[in-house]
Amino acid sequence: MDEEKRLSRKKNILFSVIAVALLCVLLFPLYWALITSLKTEQEIFQNPPTFYPHILNTKSYAAQVETGDFNMFRSFGNSFLISMGATLIAVILAVPASYGIAKYRFKARKALLLSFLVTQMLPVSVLLTPMFIMFKNMHVYNTWVAAVLADATIGIPFSVLILKNYFASIPKDLEEAAYLDGCNTFTAFVRILIPIAKPGVMVCAIFSFLYAWGDLAYGMTFILDQEKRPITAGIFNFMGQYGTKWSYLTAFAVVTIIPVALIFIFMQKYIVSGMTSGAVKG
Amino acid sequence: MAKIKKFFRYENVGMLFVLPAFLYMLAFVGYPIIHNIILSFQDVNAGNLVKGTRNFVLFDNYLELFGDSVFTTSLWNTLRFTVSCLVFQFIAGFALALFFSKRFSLARPVRGILLVPWMIPITVTALMFKLLFATDIGIINFLLRSLHLIDKNIEWLTTPGTAMFALICANVWIGIPFNMILISTGLTTIPKELYESASIDGAGKVQTFRRITLPLLKPTIESVLILGFIYTFKVYDLVYVMTSGGPVNATHMLSTYSYKLSFEMFKYSKGSAAANVLLVILLFVGVFYIKATTEGENE
Amino acid sequence: MKKKKLTALLTAMAMMTGILSGCGSKGAESTPAKDAPAADGPAAAQEDAAAESDSGTASAGDAQPVTIWYYWENEGHQMTLDQLIQEYNGSQNQYAVTAKYVPFADFKKQLSIGASADELPDIAILDSPDHASYVDMGIFEDLTGKFDVSNYYEGTVNSCTVDGKLYGVPFGANCLALYYNEDMLTAAGGSVPTTWDELLETAKALTTDSVSGLAFCSVQNEEGTFNFVPWLWSTGATSYDINNENGIRALTYIQNLIKEGVMSKECINWTQGDVMNQFIAGNVAMMVNGPWQIPTMQSEAPDLNWKVTLIPQDAQYASVLGGENYAVVNGKNVDGALDFLTYATSGEKVKFMMDQFGYISADKTIAESQFAEDSPYYPFVEELNYAMPRGPLAGWPGVSDAISLAFNQVITGTATPENAAAQAQTTIDGIVK
Repeated sequence: MDEEKRLSRKKNILFSVIAVALLCVLLFPLYWALITSLKTEQEIFQNPPTFYPHILNTKSYAAQVETGDFNMFRSFGNSFLISMGATLIAVILAVPASYGIAKYRFKARKALLLSFLVTQMLPVSVLLTPMFIMFKNMHVYNTWVAAVLADATIGIPFSVLILKNYFASIPKDLEEAAYLDGCNTFTAFVRILIPIAKPGVMVCAIFSFLYAWGDLAYGMTFILDQEKRPITAGIFNFMGQYGTKWSYLTAFAVVTIIPVALIFIFMQKYIVSGMTSGAVKG
Repeated sequence: MAKIKKFFRYENVGMLFVLPAFLYMLAFVGYPIIHNIILSFQDVNAGNLVKGTRNFVLFDNYLELFGDSVFTTSLWNTLRFTVSCLVFQFIAGFALALFFSKRFSLARPVRGILLVPWMIPITVTALMFKLLFATDIGIINFLLRSLHLIDKNIEWLTTPGTAMFALICANVWIGIPFNMILISTGLTTIPKELYESASIDGAGKVQTFRRITLPLLKPTIESVLILGFIYTFKVYDLVYVMTSGGPVNATHMLSTYSYKLSFEMFKYSKGSAAANVLLVILLFVGVFYIKATTEGENE
Repeated sequence: MKKKKLTALLTAMAMMTGILSGCGSKGAESTPAKDAPAADGPAAAQEDAAAESDSGTASAGDAQPVTIWYYWENEGHQMTLDQLIQEYNGSQNQYAVTAKYVPFADFKKQLSIGASADELPDIAILDSPDHASYVDMGIFEDLTGKFDVSNYYEGTVNSCTVDGKLYGVPFGANCLALYYNEDMLTAAGGSVPTTWDELLETAKALTTDSVSGLAFCSVQNEEGTFNFVPWLWSTGATSYDINNENGIRALTYIQNLIKEGVMSKECINWTQGDVMNQFIAGNVAMMVNGPWQIPTMQSEAPDLNWKVTLIPQDAQYASVLGGENYAVVNGKNVDGALDFLTYATSGEKVKFMMDQFGYISADKTIAESQFAEDSPYYPFVEELNYAMPRGPLAGWPGVSDAISLAFNQVITGTATPENAAAQAQTTIDGIVK
């Protein structure tokens, strides 16, 4: 709290202005997508371009709600379920794994670390067929379970790699103090280390969620019923060989961004404090 | 008995923590990797995908690939794309992370909002950049024209060199928040006391950065770069939507070319082989990373 | 025990989406059986979950399921197909047909993967030039003698015929023709072009600072090849024989269109839909496109004054045949598939489908009476007489790839027409032996 006072008033204003300027530059593509979605197709093709819609066109948004088999709310719910499932699996498995790699010097350690990396080294396209066959044999083909299981394979290695640095940065004496208090390896891990590594766990959860949220290939390939597919699948309703309409596509972009952005803004306080509160005290 | 006891030595308990995640990955990705390696040594195409014999042709697919100019172009493209993206997004992400670690009033909310590019599915980002870089209706050409930097529209996505540039821009845009947030998180693991004592010792800003920030951030930097390398190297959605490997194959990457071979040309084995070349290169990078990070820590 | 838990979990999830989607599942639901159980809570949801896990069990009484995969993202197309299916399902109770949308960009991939995993539909409605490749894969049933296709356009039947055997039934036909903006043409004082030279002259006259004279999709894929082959064929060259005077002349003509500034290089990034959008926005005065754009053009730009004519000729009129074919997957519910196709290919149903789709029937007798002479569709029926199919050849994707690379090289100026033709020929010779 008092840290904020460390910067002089002048500097505070200067930095804030720079931050806002950066924000404007980096988020310009989003602004452009937003206004394009509100223009008519004719206005989009207008030269010179208009920086705000002269004729407001909301038709593209009405089409998002329901086109053919695509239902935005349902797809959003599907995406949410799939992403939550994948995040849960990733966090539950990756947190202990990263701790094991960071804190113990067993022989297979390097090999295990490398094998986590190896799983990320093939392009998704060649993983699809064998995974499809496995999911079919497991009887989860054409259900969310298939997408959840597949999406978690992106989040796990990522989280292991990021979190291991976290656990490694926690001083050994903290753990030893826990043992003195009568903890064993597992209770020390659960009671002392996880809470300390919270910011790292948070970040890994966010990334796992977003990887699953942005996934298109797995959701499309392993789920065939339109009503079970994630929201990213909707892009095909607007982008196909018979037409690319910028107002529709950008409206789709805005629609996919808003819900997630809202969740993040709503949870911002929690996420940001998790990210910035010093991990190690003492 | 002694053996069992030995196994449950302090160090090996760590294995038990890692095992569940490892088994999960082995189950879901291990088999596909093996499947893919076998496929790359066979001669599978449309004719014998379902029925008919699959012959082992050893390295024929690989030899054929290296004689294929589109493949060698995609290999080179993948490398220069990855390196360019990593350099720009890492520097920008690092700078932003340092900037936002200053405690000014807007630091936290703005950094939070800057994450938004990361929340967008890549296919959607690709579409947005396609719109920005469009020749006639693209805003980038308009801005350049207004600033009198160009007098004729640049055909960004229809000229080989500039198409690659547009792809890099889009990827860096996605990559900046990725680097920024991971480095920001890494910065929080550096105890503040270290900075305080450094400033008491009269160390300058550059010195503090070199002596404290960089060394303590090393594991984070290594992880960010390796993960960045791997994810950038197998870039697919972005290229597929923005250029589909065009114009005239100038922006094909290993992943897009592998996809094209497998699912558009029905040359499944050749597509697998192309994917395996990608795997082998990444494997080298991975081994190098493991060596670099675990070096000197085994007391 | 575990299975029970899983089922419970699935049920819970199914109910959850039920809640989430409560607001709108009226869409084009083509599953007759699914609407019914949604009425009575958990038990039905459980049944639903069970049906998911072994996607083959009958869901409505004794009716055997028949699944169809198609790739039309167009809502009108989806609803029309759905209507046909509903009528069929209502007309008998032996089979229950359901249709699933697989996006065009994913269609080949999904069929390939499905073939490897033995998870294919009973019927596929696929793009005609790909038909031969799947026949080569051995996944389609021989339909020779089961359907009367003697009245169909020869090209459409050829596209699903391999080694004299019929492996599919044409769904409908389309082809490309030249659209022109009549107001612009009148203002520029031009006349409707019929030859290549006239086309270039007219295009020059129509080109202004903000308007391109001509546009057609030149993307480096099957869609681009589809739009380029009419020019190639018009010279007398064939798809397999490009490295000659005729092939080079076609490539040179395209090069000229770019050089003269009457066509935008951007065409290599424009899908047929993009080209149409440019046309209705008034940025393009003439375009080559298909009849399926007409419904959209009429609704999006009702005031635009345009007409359709034959693609101008070099040595002869030429167009390309497009459209989809029905195919029956072997080893699945062949009887059910055949029963549905017999229903769907009856004259009355074909006419209904074609009218709704903005397609031309592959059946000549229906096609010729389908449109009035003043209909914008009419020129397409005439153009259909000059339309030839791509392939049929199992290796067509490779040939198409070589052709699309050639015209992309010429348009972007990365190769001369001579070099591009020679390079394409080498690739094609490697495929067609």
